Amino acid sequence: MKKTKLLFSLLLVIAMMSSVMLSGCGSGGESGKIEIELVQYKPEAVAAFEKIEEGFNSTHDDIHLTIQSPNEAMTILKTRFIREDYPDIVGIGGDINYSNFLDAGMFMDISDYDGVDEIKQVYMDMEDELEFIPTDGVYALPYVANAAGILYNKDMFEENGWQIPTTWNEFTELCETIQDKGIYPLYFGFKDTWTCLAPWNALAVGLAPSDTCARVNAGETTFSKEYAEVADKIKVLLDYCEPNPFAYAYNDACTAFARGQAAMYPIGSYAVPQIKSVNPDMNIDSFVFPTGDNESDNVLNSGVDLQFCVMKNTENKEAVYEVLRYLYDDETIQIYLDDQNAIPCKEGDFELPSMLDGMSEYIEEGKMADFQDHHYPSEMSVDAMIQTYLLDTSDDAAETFLKRFDDDWARYNRDLIEKVKQYEEGNK
Amino acid sequence: MRKLRKKQHTNWFLTFVLILGCLTVLFPLYMTVIIAFKNPSEMTNDVAGALSLPSSWSFDNFAEAMRVTNFWSALANSLVITGITIILSILIHSIAGYVIGRNMMRKKGYKFLYFYIVSGMFVPFAILMMPLVKETSVIGLANPVGVILLYLVFYMPINVMLYSGYLKNIPLAMEEAAEVDGASVWKTYWTVIFPMMKPMHATVAVLTALGTWNDVMTPLVIMSGSENTTLPLAQLNFQTQFGTNYNLAFASYLLALIPILIFYVVCQKQIIGGIANGAVKG
Amino acid sequence: MKPKRSLLNKNSTYLTMIIPIVILFFVFNTLPLIIGAFYSFTNYRGYGGFDFVGGRNYLDLLTDTRVWNSYFFTFKYAIVGTILVNVISLLLALALNSKIRFKSALRGIYFVPNILGGLIVGYIFSFIFTYIIPAVGQTFDIPWIENSILADEKLAWIGVLIVGVWQAVAMNTIIYISGLQTIPNDVYEASKIDGAGTWCTFRKITLPMLMPFISINLVLSTKNMLMVFDQIMSLTKGGPAQSTESISYLIYKNGMDGGQFGFQSANAVVFFILIVTISVIQMRMTNKKEEQL
Repeated sequence: MKKTKLLFSLLLVIAMMSSVMLSGCGSGGESGKIEIELVQYKPEAVAAFEKIEEGFNSTHDDIHLTIQSPNEAMTILKTRFIREDYPDIVGIGGDINYSNFLDAGMFMDISDYDGVDEIKQVYMDMEDELEFIPTDGVYALPYVANAAGILYNKDMFEENGWQIPTTWNEFTELCETIQDKGIYPLYFGFKDTWTCLAPWNALAVGLAPSDTCARVNAGETTFSKEYAEVADKIKVLLDYCEPNPFAYAYNDACTAFARGQAAMYPIGSYAVPQIKSVNPDMNIDSFVFPTGDNESDNVLNSGVDLQFCVMKNTENKEAVYEVLRYLYDDETIQIYLDDQNAIPCKEGDFELPSMLDGMSEYIEEGKMADFQDHHYPSEMSVDAMIQTYLLDTSDDAAETFLKRFDDDWARYNRDLIEKVKQYEEGNK
Repeated sequence: MRKLRKKQHTNWFLTFVLILGCLTVLFPLYMTVIIAFKNPSEMTNDVAGALSLPSSWSFDNFAEAMRVTNFWSALANSLVITGITIILSILIHSIAGYVIGRNMMRKKGYKFLYFYIVSGMFVPFAILMMPLVKETSVIGLANPVGVILLYLVFYMPINVMLYSGYLKNIPLAMEEAAEVDGASVWKTYWTVIFPMMKPMHATVAVLTALGTWNDVMTPLVIMSGSENTTLPLAQLNFQTQFGTNYNLAFASYLLALIPILIFYVVCQKQIIGGIANGAVKG
Repeated sequence: MKPKRSLLNKNSTYLTMIIPIVILFFVFNTLPLIIGAFYSFTNYRGYGGFDFVGGRNYLDLLTDTRVWNSYFFTFKYAIVGTILVNVISLLLALALNSKIRFKSALRGIYFVPNILGGLIVGYIFSFIFTYIIPAVGQTFDIPWIENSILADEKLAWIGVLIVGVWQAVAMNTIIYISGLQTIPNDVYEASKIDGAGTWCTFRKITLPMLMPFISINLVLSTKNMLMVFDQIMSLTKGGPAQSTESISYLIYKNGMDGGQFGFQSANAVVFFILIVTISVIQMRMTNKKEEQL
């Protein structure tokens, strides 16, 4: 009896104590200012956005900007949409989520925003390709892009006199050479299924047309046809990586690469900050994945990593545009670039991070194509399908995988394909 | 005769085996502690290196983890949510258990009610999740209050089952005596029954506390996007796609484990006793 | 006259006590369940508009290999897990209840896994499976543990199982210990005088008298194991090769994040019906056993 009493009083004390603590935390909003809320989905960029938020608020008396950079942001955004609790601006990736939100009619047409013309056309085209049903307006403003290809250890390459490969054959030869040296040519973190998409995308941009998904939806081709070579080549990579890449996660792969256990790392530019956190002095550069037999066939895999969309329900369009103007100011963009190793989508003279040197030519020429997975429905889990395929050692593995790709695609995109068909019939 | 006497002796062999078995429990905790104290550069891939103690016992990782996860605010939220949930569970669920338990033998309606509530135990959270997000926001409960209300509902089935089961041990005569003295149902309940259910209150408190303290999903979907996080929810900080630092993450895990471990060490007897009691009398 | 009125009075007091509670329960349990069932007949993404699709989602469930695989995994996990948990915890309870030293300290330690959150425990074990155990395998040249079992599509479920069992054993052990303590000592004495051996005593006395506790434990651990979620989240995220996708994980992953809310609602409805059926059958069976005694 006594002991339960003790337990009871303890709980009561805890509850009382904590409610006192909590009540001290609440704070009221400032009055008289227009509140603008921006939610962006890259928590790793929180430092840059804190700086930007501070900069904006110190230069604007009439508008107060709040930038949220939550973890699990896409889940949070989706739950907030379900709740009909919309922010004013969202910063998301140029991927299937954008397509879905747009399709659900959640964004505002911002074609009258004065900065639209300053965005590079190649990225605006990528946005157009993301629309299920072609629209006239502008619904997304690309901010920065990332690039995926191969990161390599520059010092290691220089010490050994290795040359940057420009064709698939040169690439595999280089891998053999590195392997003979007793170093892993590649390192993967395939335990995190999404990392399977990095080499997949980089190969697919070179080997399959960029509108593959749209053409499949229109019934003009199949994945079995377009992706056959991609599937073959991605499997070859397994010969050159660490044993059992499925045991290691993204973080492990970054660490191993940073420690010089591998010479190359097929991943996107977004991995650099993580690698540098392990080895700050590392000399990293990158090159475009050499997918074909000619150097001229190579295409840089680059997509919109962050774009801003204005929610339809915002009540302060003018204030939102003011925020956009600040965000797309050259100085603001540079703050972001310095922090995140990204490629700006705005025209202009920006300092590109040094690890993108090997890709800069492609960026300047605009020889780029979007990540193919930006068109894959997330519930189809193509990343896990690729992982399954890579683990499958049977002879007809590629066939099974590609057939499943086609079958599942038809299943998961049924409503969409129907919609596209209806749209096209209506247009005829 | 000899056999009987031997039984009275301590079984040292079994004691030894059981102590050895403790390693399965303690080893993961040991790993957590040493990783939390190490630097990223101390992390090696060989056995000896992985198991060795950190070179220095610095609290830098903890300070950093506290900063990143906003530890104190998360702790306060967790304490408030768990504390209030426990108190309300005891008050509300005991009433429900009492009313249902006392009437279900006589009335079909209450029997039905009992099965209606208890079957709630088998509703997977996944199916409730999305509709609940919508509901709570419409009523303006997308906040800790909403989370507490949801916990009250989620734990109602098991707690009602425990309380009404325990009621079988309390003779009706006690209430009847009070009623003869002219006490109302309410008064009888609070003065006679509620105090007598004390052992079950402890059980309910323990089970509810363990469940709510460690829950991630409910606060994630209900309060997401607001300033409020709970301690386990804050751990997701370290599990984002880009950028994981094992040492920092483990320091943060350890910080999240420490409050419940302290609570356990202090109230160990009550906790184990509470659960045992639930099993025997529930 | 008077007693009748007081009875009426009493009944209405009971009703005023219980009605608000039932309403609360209805609003946050039954109502969302109904709404969820409603959405299972739509192609709702969670936001935006939706159309009614009739029973299409349910038909799709039948032909979806991913859903079938998740059911196969979940049931394999739950069946093996329930058996393992109950065997281990029964043995542990017998040991902890016998004449040993440091009894309460040992009981205290063995209960620790239960108070730790599943998510964090999963993260810790994930590290151990990926680094520590393969390192041990390499050092001592034990080939079958040289690779992380979480990376092997045939073995990953065992990794999840180990963690699940590690956590679940604690609670069941405590319940078994309290069960053992309800068996009066003189029953044992009597059997000893009859000359029964240890095994015979266990089978003829301990086991039957523990039946109610075995019944509780079976129902509870089956239910918990069928709903496995935290461990998947933190250990495998459903991988490798989608070999450890549990039903709950799939519903969460594709329903919340993947825009399959309608379809996964149908999945959840089916899952709910299955869980209720299994629990009812289990309780019926163990109740019968109890009555026989």
